[in-house]
Amino acid sequence: MQVVLENLPQILEGLKFTVYYSIVAIILAVIFGLIAALMKLSKSSVLSGFASVYIEVFRSTPLLVQLFFIVFGLTGLLPLNEWFGQRSYPIIAATITLALHEGAYISEIIRAGIQGVDRGQKEAAASIGMTEFLTMRYIVLPQAFKRMIPPLVNQSAQTIKDTSLLAPIGIIDLVYRGQIVIATTFEPFAIWLTIGLIYFILIFSVSQFAGYLERRLQLDNR
Amino acid sequence: MITVENLRKSYGELQILKGISTQISHQEVVVLIGPSGSGKSTFLRCLNGLEKTTNGKIEIAGMELTNPETNIHDLRQHVGMCFQQFNLFKHLTIMENITIGPMKVLKKSKAESEQIARELLKKVGLQNKEQDYPDQLSGGQQQRVAIARALAMKPKVMLFDEPTSALNPEMVGEVLNVMSDLAHEGMTMVIVTHEMGFAREVGDRVLFLDDGYLVEEGTPVEIFERPKEERTKNFLAKVL
Ligand SMILES: Nc1ncnc2c1ncn2[C@@H]1O[C@H](COP(=O)(O)OP(=O)(O)OP(=O)(O)O)[C@@H](O)[C@H]1O
Ligand SMILES: [Mg+2]
Repeated sequence: MQVVLENLPQILEGLKFTVYYSIVAIILAVIFGLIAALMKLSKSSVLSGFASVYIEVFRSTPLLVQLFFIVFGLTGLLPLNEWFGQRSYPIIAATITLALHEGAYISEIIRAGIQGVDRGQKEAAASIGMTEFLTMRYIVLPQAFKRMIPPLVNQSAQTIKDTSLLAPIGIIDLVYRGQIVIATTFEPFAIWLTIGLIYFILIFSVSQFAGYLERRLQLDNR
Repeated sequence: MITVENLRKSYGELQILKGISTQISHQEVVVLIGPSGSGKSTFLRCLNGLEKTTNGKIEIAGMELTNPETNIHDLRQHVGMCFQQFNLFKHLTIMENITIGPMKVLKKSKAESEQIARELLKKVGLQNKEQDYPDQLSGGQQQRVAIARALAMKPKVMLFDEPTSALNPEMVGEVLNVMSDLAHEGMTMVIVTHEMGFAREVGDRVLFLDDGYLVEEGTPVEIFERPKEERTKNFLAKVL
């Protein structure tokens, strides 16, 4: 207990990064996911083909391998460390990789949301002369987003879990800080327990929030 | 106003419309009747390009819909449509449902669009519902809003696909009244309906569709009282 309290500032410093990477990754992932979903639904087979390849590649390989490949593998091909900086490239690359990984799942959530909008809504929009773009922007997406909020919040919980894989590639987060603290205190049980607890509180509250939103949205079903 | 020449529509092998030709003049009210599955909805939806035609020519208000170079969105501004299921935008208020077309498509200001919407809501008798959402309204009220939404685009033609079929009987009248008013103001209208009384009263011309063919057309008196074709007689015997 004493050990945990003494090292809590260090651990919470790690938590700060975990939260920070999660937020950035989720925001980027929604953007990537939206682009991929729209590409996949587009009439152009080239665009939808690209989107399918992206989605399948990122869903069918482990995140850890994706991280190693993009953060370390690609530097064997291109002088990325020079372009982006020795210290910042791994952080940028890891965040984007995490976002691409989550984006692949989010694109499927968004696609299902878009396809779940009643066809009559699109036809009504078309009948008053709205273009496909206007229809998507003002009619389909606003209705789809409501439906998508609970699964998106769930995916955010998943993203928080996935940030723990940033530690093995040397990026400071909750897990990474924990490992450092253990290396100096030799108290793996107490520290891992604390870290587990922090993750639990964080992720449990997010998924409870998703459940709450789901119930709310069912109530006012607009 | 509308010219249809040898219109054909198929889904794969299945032929739905088998060569329909007709002309609809300015301010004319045309009623489409026929058995279920005869192609009435398909025909109507071809008139604003919601269904792609397989063959034939459609011209509306001087624009050739079947010409691939025609901008379909421009054309649809001039062709309003009301659906059996109303299809009001669920996430928008009644006011927003009506103003979204003028604002986003016609690029009118918010103030001007709201002005148009208020006048139309008054016309359909719903001026106190501006801030409600569609699901707070009865079916009849929703359909009247849908009519107002279409009219806000100042269309030259209005298409109605069974606008009262999804309504409780006591609400049918309020929608038909709005439609009669529109007809008397000189709107060009094409209406699919099972309301034969309304067809007789408001229609200038009745088209009878069966199995993808335009079997017979004429004034309401000609069709309802002196039908020539056997198929028309059989159909009317069932519905009248
Ligand atoms: N997307 C589609 N794919 C295949 N067949 C279709 C499609 N849409 C309609 N049909 C078929 O076309 C035929 C005509 O349909 P349509 O909806 O035009 O008939 P209708 O006269 O409006 O009938 P109702 O009175 O029941 O509304 C029907 O047999 C229907 O099954
Ligand atoms: Mg129909």
